[in-house]
Amino acid sequence: MFAARAEIVANVWKIVAREGDQVGAGDVLAILETMKMEIPVYAEAPGFVSKILVEVGQIVQEGDPLIEIDETASA
Amino acid sequence: MSQRETPSVLSAPDAGPVEEQGHRSMLTQRRADRFAHVEPKGKRVYTALQRAEMLVDDGSFVAMTPLRSAGAGQGSGVVAGWGTTDGHPLVVVSHDAAVASGAIGAVMAESIQKAQRFAIDKGYPIVYINDSGGARIHDGIFALHGCGGIFALNIEAQKRIPQISLILGPCAGAAAYSPALTDWTIMVKEQGQMFLTGPDIVKAATGEDASAEDIGGSDLHTRVSGVAHLEVDSEEEAFHATRLLLSFLPTHKGGAQKRHSSVPANPGAVERLPGIVPEKSSIVFDMNAVIDGVLDNGARLELMPTHAPSILTLFARLDGHAVGVIANQPNARGGILDSKAAVKAARFVDFCGRFDLPVVTFVDVPGFLPGTVEEGRGIITHGAKLLKAYVETTSPKLTVVVRKAYGGAYIAMGAASLGADVNWAWAQSEIAVMGPGGAVALLHRRALKEAEEPTVLRDELAAVYREEVARPYLAAEAGIVDDVIHPEETRDRMTAALRMLTAGTD
Repeated sequence: MFAARAEIVANVWKIVAREGDQVGAGDVLAILETMKMEIPVYAEAPGFVSKILVEVGQIVQEGDPLIEIDETASA
Repeated sequence: MSQRETPSVLSAPDAGPVEEQGHRSMLTQRRADRFAHVEPKGKRVYTALQRAEMLVDDGSFVAMTPLRSAGAGQGSGVVAGWGTTDGHPLVVVSHDAAVASGAIGAVMAESIQKAQRFAIDKGYPIVYINDSGGARIHDGIFALHGCGGIFALNIEAQKRIPQISLILGPCAGAAAYSPALTDWTIMVKEQGQMFLTGPDIVKAATGEDASAEDIGGSDLHTRVSGVAHLEVDSEEEAFHATRLLLSFLPTHKGGAQKRHSSVPANPGAVERLPGIVPEKSSIVFDMNAVIDGVLDNGARLELMPTHAPSILTLFARLDGHAVGVIANQPNARGGILDSKAAVKAARFVDFCGRFDLPVVTFVDVPGFLPGTVEEGRGIITHGAKLLKAYVETTSPKLTVVVRKAYGGAYIAMGAASLGADVNWAWAQSEIAVMGPGGAVALLHRRALKEAEEPTVLRDELAAVYREEVARPYLAAEAGIVDDVIHPEETRDRMTAALRMLTAGTD
């Protein structure tokens, strides 16, 4: 289990992944918006999206967990 | 007897065979004693002498005062000497971790200072191979006095020669401070650590249970603290990286630049260059693709790749000249400038300036990151360091805006006002006092407040602002950028400028 985290303080602009989705390493899970830039949030390893921890429009701080991925479930 | 055929200059003219044999064996014995107790310990594979020999060209290492000793069988605690890398002279200081964990006593400090003095006087780069527990307690204040002397020479050397520190073991106290006074620090993963106080003292002072890796491992220092600038997997890799770094640098300030023949940019990258930067200014991309499409194809060395990754700092070549490249990296944190990015960039620009390396800046910056966190970190002070570094740097400075440059960040990224010699902007770029969204919110505050559909009006006004105010032609007409160019023209423009700016220096 690991969480994709915010790399910078931002506004959650889009959530691409849905709970239960199977994702591969490098897939875009969500897009943050800060300083008018669209900052993609990637899955660092393959797995299943077990929980989405944030909502669109929410302000997140650097390092906040956004989306939980269960990597064991992908086996 | 073979010894008779190679007479020693030290042997007395009337010395008979027996006496001469005695002198010879005594020297042989002394040399053997010096390294009798220096077997590698812990994770180390090589001795201090082997490390020094591996760093330089094969067979070129010569030890200075190899018989200097702090006591029977101890040597001085350090192997100091000189050799060459790719034929260029280099001074090396290599801590002997097998003697008292490399702790710096009075004699060791004196030996290190002698090598530093030599390097500064001759104008040769110096590499410190650090593997030391810090000041040697047995030597009391004489050890402290010696360490302070090393620091003072580190600082004197900054104005004269490149200094590189390798961290090949646990380095505490003075052995961690000296690297911080040098230009670039390279750490071997899971082998090198740097901290002011080790785990035991941390535990005693604060109750914190932390391993040496937690307090001063390469991950902490290359990613979070920025104390070290490159993390490598092995000692061999550390030596290779050091040699690569030196290949971009002159031996001393004012020394000849290591000029190579010009190599065209990577053909694939050149072909992709016109379409690399997404037109929509909010979409991220990899700035390395732009750098590859402009600079000479060949060796690069990126420093601090994992610390403040929203800005890239790397050495490369342009038309055969070694250059320092500064570039915003939209792929990491949107390419913003924050406190750490500003400090990282300032340090790099300052280094280039000290050693006359041209600075090439690629700009696509959304601005300085606002907010309480960054203001609390002192972003004003740190951003100011970047401005100062650009202004004080007298080597050639070339800047190209590839997409957007807004506000204070526009100035900070090597703008004309800070002394850039030549500035260009790509045709689709935007240069403005602030981004279109923010600008129209201020300029049309009342109209937006009274509008029935403010977001629609704001987008319309922002589009007008982008086309009429932010396009680079306004800046070009005002002479603030020298010219507006197509991406594929960048290399030729930069090459011509660099030839003009370095004319007479070869």
